[in-house]
Amino acid sequence: MKVERVSYDVMTPSAARGILEAIHWKPAIRWHVDRIHVLRPICFQSLRRNEVGAKASEANARSAMKRGTTEGLGILVDENRQQRAALVLVDVAYVIEAHFSMTDKAGPEDTPAKHISMFNRRAQQGQCFHRPCLGTREFAAEFELLGPDDPLPVYDPPLTERDRDFGWMLHDIDFARGNESRFFRAQMMDGVIEVPPSMRRRWCSDHSASAGTPLSSPGRAR
Amino acid sequence: MTILQALERHYHRLAERGEISSPGWSREKFGFCVVLSRDGEPVAMEDLRDLLGKKPVNREFTVPASFKRSGKRPPPFFLWDKTSYSLGVGAEGKGWKETPFQHGLFKEYHLNRLSREEDPGLLALVRFLQTWEPSAFRESCLKEIVPDANIMFRLDGDREYLHERAAARRLVEAGNDNETDQDQQVGWCLITGEQAPIEKLHPAIKGVAANNPPPGGGHSLVSFNLDAFTSLCKTQGANAPTSKGAAFRYGTTLNHLLTRGGPNRLPHPIGDATVVFWAEAGDDQADALFANWLGGDTADDDASETRKLREQMQAVASGKRISDVLPQIDPDTRFHVLGLSPNAARLSVRFWLSDTIDAFAHRLARHHEDLRIEPTPLNWGAAPSVNCLLVNTTALQRDFKNIPPLLAGEVMRAVLGGTRYPLSLLSAALIRLRAGDSPATGWHAAVIRAVLVRLKRRHSEFPEEGETPMSLKRDHDNVGYQLGRLFAVYELAQRAALGRVNATIRDKYFGAASATPASVFPLIVRGGQNHLAKVRKEKPGWASLIERELEEIHSHIEPAAPRSLPRSLSLQDQGEFAIGYYHQRAASLSNGKNENIDPKELEDLQGEGDEK
Repeated sequence: MKVERVSYDVMTPSAARGILEAIHWKPAIRWHVDRIHVLRPICFQSLRRNEVGAKASEANARSAMKRGTTEGLGILVDENRQQRAALVLVDVAYVIEAHFSMTDKAGPEDTPAKHISMFNRRAQQGQCFHRPCLGTREFAAEFELLGPDDPLPVYDPPLTERDRDFGWMLHDIDFARGNESRFFRAQMMDGVIEVPPSMRRRWCSDHSASAGTPLSSPGRAR
Repeated sequence: MTILQALERHYHRLAERGEISSPGWSREKFGFCVVLSRDGEPVAMEDLRDLLGKKPVNREFTVPASFKRSGKRPPPFFLWDKTSYSLGVGAEGKGWKETPFQHGLFKEYHLNRLSREEDPGLLALVRFLQTWEPSAFRESCLKEIVPDANIMFRLDGDREYLHERAAARRLVEAGNDNETDQDQQVGWCLITGEQAPIEKLHPAIKGVAANNPPPGGGHSLVSFNLDAFTSLCKTQGANAPTSKGAAFRYGTTLNHLLTRGGPNRLPHPIGDATVVFWAEAGDDQADALFANWLGGDTADDDASETRKLREQMQAVASGKRISDVLPQIDPDTRFHVLGLSPNAARLSVRFWLSDTIDAFAHRLARHHEDLRIEPTPLNWGAAPSVNCLLVNTTALQRDFKNIPPLLAGEVMRAVLGGTRYPLSLLSAALIRLRAGDSPATGWHAAVIRAVLVRLKRRHSEFPEEGETPMSLKRDHDNVGYQLGRLFAVYELAQRAALGRVNATIRDKYFGAASATPASVFPLIVRGGQNHLAKVRKEKPGWASLIERELEEIHSHIEPAAPRSLPRSLSLQDQGEFAIGYYHQRAASLSNGKNENIDPKELEDLQGEGDEK
């Protein structure tokens, strides 16, 4: 329900991938989300926002580049306003388990060890290329690195309903094949949603699966 | 389980029960039927409307499916349509105008599609379309028809309507070949997870209460009407890929649930949200139960029903499973509640909750438990609906239209989700009190107490120590509460002294006293001394009772020295004030011997029983 947004019950694997990519991503690697731990009860809130009803036009941007001026490029908010309602998740916290694989674009200097240490260092220091978000940019996500031996963070109130079938959920967009959406059956067992590894094959064959990297992201969608 | 998936699953259940139209058909509202002779002459007009009520009401029939019309040549429906298509006359202001263009479309489409039919009924329609002139409408036997009503046809001497004839059914089930195969886009369906042709335009959802219903009749739940709503260069339905079959099923189900007056819909919208609910059960007993528990907009006249409902709720609230109270209901049945409200030409989901029936029952019972206040407010009934609560505590002039829509949605979610009530409910109720709603009815106090109680509770299930009391608790440790009591006692003194007056201290000072006690209470105390002096002369027994009560209250306030009266009260303490006031006001004072003041007698003196 794109115009009047309605969130899925939990974050989708593609959203988790977005967070990981915000921390570290290069064309040489591709992230795969293995598991999502849900840490808090699923709780919704509805809100309305004023948004803009138009997109920046590509043609206009091209002609503006040729002309060398930005005239006529802007979109005026008050002339093109759309009020959109949304049903959003609030008070969310997840642990993401993921790994990456090397892609065809990996050069000789790219090794899994290099990328995993880059990622770990950056995540530890809270660095990111852009502030990761859940849903839209207004809902910024915070993250921290969870070491291999660290216990799962505990939140209050804890997740009460631990088993649930979320039905079909967006797994990711297949960018190689006409931006087609892919879905998977999301089932939460004891608070964990397992992303089926079979989904991965559609993208590329794994070159080398590197170590899993738990990551927590206590994002607050407020 | 997302909304669409739950709806789609419900379709199969309804289909098993035979309660829903199959693909290619839909339920539409009709006003009239045109009776045709075998030669295609319109011989009579049949009024299909329900004429029992004040206004004639259109009735629903199952007919070949309608769809959303758009474009330069909006396609007509099959074997029925509104007058501008079927008869070539449409509404203009209060009169008629001829609509040759639309009628032309209707004619062309039907002459084409029925060209090879030999069924006498369909032939009659073909002949009718060949000979009918819209200009003849005014002189024909059809002139009583209301402009733009839906029209269907029937062959003279037949009992069934034209679209019900076997030949017509065959045609409908064979499907419409309007769309060429090139339009078909195959993709993954987000509802079923299968690969299937993707629906471009999602079905229109009708029956959601809206101030300005869209012209086509019905909003879309899933739609992409502007560029900014699409992503990755996709158009229309491809942004939310849904197979044609699944889209039909969820749309039909939702429309079925939204039927006005149906068992799956609350009779009044909550704020601006139309609420539907359904259980994943083979029968509709659970639906009926919830309609009963959630509904109840008016105080029930039937006392035994009211008592039964209250007993059921109390049993559930005390921890029993719903199946112990109502054995015919399976407590683990999944239950869904969906609140839809219109936003521009679209539908937005105001709230969506899905849980087991047992969980919902407990939350509802908990909600009513948290609302309880002693004495029971005026016209409370067994279990007032959310709407009823809101209209009495937050709406200007007690008009359903003035309920703040966003607040209504949030409250509903809190009730059904068992979470905290929004703080805006507290402030809304306080604003109404300050603006002059009577705090003596108890509705505001009940709502305020519910907000405060849940706010402090760490786990919504169990009552805690020190939470706002349900009935008068003299040693409740909250300055707002005690000030509220104090205020009520001074009002009592005034009433005892002067009887009925035009402007009581409540009318004058309630708002100010609850917000900024330090600046108002000295005035009240000074006035109170005069009243007490008079009471002492006339009814010395009463005076001593009142003074004793004042002393007792002051003993709770004093410790907040250096100044015993706070300069201002927080929103929550203002809430406590209203509750303390309500409790104290209803309390009867007695010294255990022969002196007592029963507030009910004084109530009559004031004639406040009339107030709702």
